[in-house]
Amino acid sequence: MDAFFSAAWDVMSSDSTYLNTALFAAFLAFAASGEWVAERAGTLNISVEGMLLAGAFTSAVGFDITGSIAIGMASGLVGGLVIAGIQAEMSHRLAADQFVVGLTLNILVFGLAGFLDNEIQPETKLAHRFDIPLLSDLPLIGQALFGQRWPFYILYVLLPFTWWLVFRTRWGLELRAAGENPQSADVSGINVNRRRRQSIYYAGFTAGLGGGFLILAQIGQFEDSHVGGRGFIAIAAVIFGGWTLRGTIAGCVLFAFALASRLSIQGLGYDVNSELLQSAPFVVTILGMAIFAHRVRPPASLAQPFVRGLK
Amino acid sequence: MTGEEFVSAGAGEALASPAPAVRLSGITKRFGSVVACDEVDLALERGRIHGILGENGAGKSTLMKILIGLVLPDAGSISIDGVHQQIHDPLVAADLGIGMVHQHFSLVEPLTVWENVTLGEVGRLDPESVRNRVGEIAEQYGLVIDPDARVGDLTAGLRQRVEIIKCLRRDPSIVIFDEPTSVLTPEESVQLFDSLRNVVAAEGRTVVLVSHKLDEVLHATDDIAIMRQGSVVDRQSAAETDAPSLARAMVGREVSLRSERAALGLLDDELAAARMNQATMNRADPILRVRNVSASGAGGVTLLNDLSLDLAPGEIVGIAGVEGNGQRHLSDLLSSLLPLAEGSVEMNGQTIPTGRSGAMARAGIAVIPEDRHDSGIVLEMTVAENLVLFDQSRVARHRMLDRGELDNFAREVIKKFSIACTGPDAPMWALSGGNQQRVVLARELAKRPQVLVAAQPTRGLDVGAIEYMGERLEEAAGDGVGVLLISSELEEILDLSHRILVMHSGRVAGEMGRADVDIERLGLLMGGAVA
Repeated sequence: MDAFFSAAWDVMSSDSTYLNTALFAAFLAFAASGEWVAERAGTLNISVEGMLLAGAFTSAVGFDITGSIAIGMASGLVGGLVIAGIQAEMSHRLAADQFVVGLTLNILVFGLAGFLDNEIQPETKLAHRFDIPLLSDLPLIGQALFGQRWPFYILYVLLPFTWWLVFRTRWGLELRAAGENPQSADVSGINVNRRRRQSIYYAGFTAGLGGGFLILAQIGQFEDSHVGGRGFIAIAAVIFGGWTLRGTIAGCVLFAFALASRLSIQGLGYDVNSELLQSAPFVVTILGMAIFAHRVRPPASLAQPFVRGLK
Repeated sequence: MTGEEFVSAGAGEALASPAPAVRLSGITKRFGSVVACDEVDLALERGRIHGILGENGAGKSTLMKILIGLVLPDAGSISIDGVHQQIHDPLVAADLGIGMVHQHFSLVEPLTVWENVTLGEVGRLDPESVRNRVGEIAEQYGLVIDPDARVGDLTAGLRQRVEIIKCLRRDPSIVIFDEPTSVLTPEESVQLFDSLRNVVAAEGRTVVLVSHKLDEVLHATDDIAIMRQGSVVDRQSAAETDAPSLARAMVGREVSLRSERAALGLLDDELAAARMNQATMNRADPILRVRNVSASGAGGVTLLNDLSLDLAPGEIVGIAGVEGNGQRHLSDLLSSLLPLAEGSVEMNGQTIPTGRSGAMARAGIAVIPEDRHDSGIVLEMTVAENLVLFDQSRVARHRMLDRGELDNFAREVIKKFSIACTGPDAPMWALSGGNQQRVVLARELAKRPQVLVAAQPTRGLDVGAIEYMGERLEEAAGDGVGVLLISSELEEILDLSHRILVMHSGRVAGEMGRADVDIERLGLLMGGAVA
């Protein structure tokens, strides 16, 4: 038991744990913030996984062509938005089942990205680090929160902006209504499926940025296995957070911490079965869901397609 | 077709006056094989309150949904202020100044009052100005409400208030109320009709009141159009008509005094007492005994509190009380849905395990559930399938459904219970509320139960269907079935019951026989006063 606590202490007091937690959490938060918007509007958007991977690939290609990190990030949007477009139009215009569409897209993107990666083999590098004066000198969390590569700081704008969009604009009000009670929203004169499509595009937008972040601020090289199910962890974070943005971010941080501890434990030289460690973040996710998920209330019409007409 | 003679009457009127606020011509709408609106012609004048009266399924709601752009008509045209219009969307209707206060609310519960009020408007979201406007309207029409309250926390009456404010905020010239009092208390209804008058008197709007309650239409409106089976069959002036003649026009035949009174919502002490005196029960041994039952729900809320009752064969026991005092849980208990903390339920002296699925039904208790859509029927399945939903034995061979047998059985029941539908294969959703309820009744009686629990059996039904249900319950009692009638309609209880129990706070607050009903005591018991 002592060994466990000393290991835990080592992990907790290691700068690299915090740095990695912040990195992993940032990637999850890019994905989860848009996913949260989509779910508030009533879509359980499982193609976020595919959006992340597509965004990562297009941003790698964008950087390879131009050599510019900024353009690389912007090209990430292309991948995210293309997948969002297919998901949105298929599930909320053609009324195809959102899960079938999402699953298909995830498989499609995975195959396509692997194939194109072999064909194109985009060369990428990481954006430069940018220390925010004073704040980055804080102990433990200073470097983690304020000493990152610059795409990281997009989150500091994106998250408040997302909150503002959903709770302070008419668009946000209407998409919340569409997610809670589409019949009422429709009767009130709101185009429910258009709001739902738009919210999926927003998810594509943030996931596209997330893909760019992964390549240009976290890993530095495209690999089709790098997203590796973290789109689903982002979905879990939204559920864990009880469909609030604050809770969603907390979920991202918790799950990211589990991912980061794994690296730290190995980095610090502890001998723990690595397959077991690999599964740790997912175990934490499941535990987190088991403990918290039943206490929260999802949007009343989450994952229910809306068709106009008499009930 | 009865509608046709009315076409000419409507056309004649149009010549006499300038363009009405709304003119509907030849509006027809079919849902599958059901004709909801059959060439309806109707003119609505400015500055008046128009009543549209009809039984459930007469086509009133569909007609209004067409006017508001929620349903597209198959044929016919609409003119607003004499100008022909295509209303294919609620937004178009809103632009034309048509607003509707919906029967089933169009509110989003997790949102606040002001958020709901502004929902569907355009332009920048300005919470402060919306809140102010809510306050102004509230003051102007006496509809006081807290703009920051969550709609999900409000009572039905207050929700409707939000709905009305939402509608009036757009300053509509035509306001439609669809069954506005179905969720209101009598006091709330009176308040509603007061503000309705204000809306018309102050601004010369056109108000349409859709209802199946005779007294409501009679007292709150100026002109009354009566619909039956998708057509407007008659028009009467509220000042010159009376309830019986409206009732005749609505059902197309004389209705019995009982259901007419039920429709009117009137209570006639003398008559009720007379009816109760005529039958004095010689009480047989009880078949159902509920002994000191208590149950609590989530968070330790007391649902039933030391409740006891007996029911004898052939007896109709009415459970009266203000809704929400445990009546629903009593019916849940007898549907095997509620496990008990204390007490027991006995049938013929045998204790029945509570909360075990199907145990009550096997012991001979049939239930007409309170919410038929929720737990009585499956809307997407056919009439025949719904009839054998819980017991397929009579239509099955070697545990396989025999389609031919099912068909015969269903035809027989449809005929016996006069269920209006296109046949055994008609989908349940295509039936009107009254006919859906007949399917439930037929199915429950087919079990040959010893006890029949009827929970709010006439809710949302029209005069004819209410009358029918009452007759069937009395007939069942005549056949020796013990009937437990749970109803929030006091008139229904007084009309049918041999004995009346009043529920309050999850227990039986008092009991009285048919012969010695004291209305005042009844009221006190219902209100929770010791009497």
